[in-house]
Amino acid sequence: MIRIAAVGDVHMDQDVIGRFRPALEHLPAHADVLLLAGDLTRHGTESEARCVATEFGGLPVPVITVLGNHDYHCDQVPEVVAVLEEAGITVLEGSSTVVDCGGERLGIAGVKGFGGGFAGRCASEFGEPEMKDFVRTTNGVADQLADALCTLDCDLRVALTHYAPVPETLAGEPLEIYPFLGSYLLGQAIDSAPTALAIHGHAHAGAERGRTPGGVRVRNVAHPVIKQAYSVFHLGNHHN
Amino acid sequence: MSKGPVDPHRVDEYVEAAVQRLLTEEGELAEQGITVTRREHTLVLSGEVESPRRRDEILRMVREQLPGVQLSVDIGVTRVHEPTEAEDLS
Repeated sequence: MIRIAAVGDVHMDQDVIGRFRPALEHLPAHADVLLLAGDLTRHGTESEARCVATEFGGLPVPVITVLGNHDYHCDQVPEVVAVLEEAGITVLEGSSTVVDCGGERLGIAGVKGFGGGFAGRCASEFGEPEMKDFVRTTNGVADQLADALCTLDCDLRVALTHYAPVPETLAGEPLEIYPFLGSYLLGQAIDSAPTALAIHGHAHAGAERGRTPGGVRVRNVAHPVIKQAYSVFHLGNHHN
Repeated sequence: MSKGPVDPHRVDEYVEAAVQRLLTEEGELAEQGITVTRREHTLVLSGEVESPRRRDEILRMVREQLPGVQLSVDIGVTRVHEPTEAEDLS
């Protein structure tokens, strides 16, 4: 069995340092790995990334993350990634990593993702260049996620995104903003591989549980949704 | 705060939209998780933030921008306790 801890949308800055730490000190008793589902910072500055490094760096289990839309706001993504990597946090974007969990190989493929909406109610690559760029962005990251998942060599696969791959975990959010919260293309990418679990954040007013059309379990771990320092999931290896 | 004609003493759709954008775009807030709703003559702010300081800052900014608007505030600070149970997905 592999034990996965996960939380997203922690929006770190100086005023949050130390809040998660008491629960993180006991992390090895709960989990083999910690996944962060993006929106680690408020504005995506290097100094906020240092707060993330202080809070989530130096933990006794591997920490793997994707970035979220907030982490892009100040156009300092390379600096943010450098600070996180320096603190030992693995940052995924169209890439994957494999963690040894007591002899079982847990593969994690990650992208930030993007919006666009869900089947039958989604944006199309049509019309103005801005609209085509929007949809092409999601198409591109979904393709990267599919490639990263399909090429993983591991016992169990987990997909890590910031944006949502299914609408079920958005329940509670206004329907009108679903296209800004996720895309079915991410779900389709997740279903293109034998994925055991999909983790995302972004939807603060959403719901915890959903499933892709292919039956992959999806969990929204946005901090305001789980209302605890992190959630823990136990995975067996019969999914692969 | 807004490019449109917002009357800071009247709680209407434009005020609701202006506050939503204020919380995200102005100053240090960057709060996209606060729900803004109108209830008769009151603007209701609800949701969760990561620190008491952020809740105070939201109130300060909204009161500063909309001094005549009656506010009802239901913003909590998200809990950070250790989980007491795991979800078994085996």
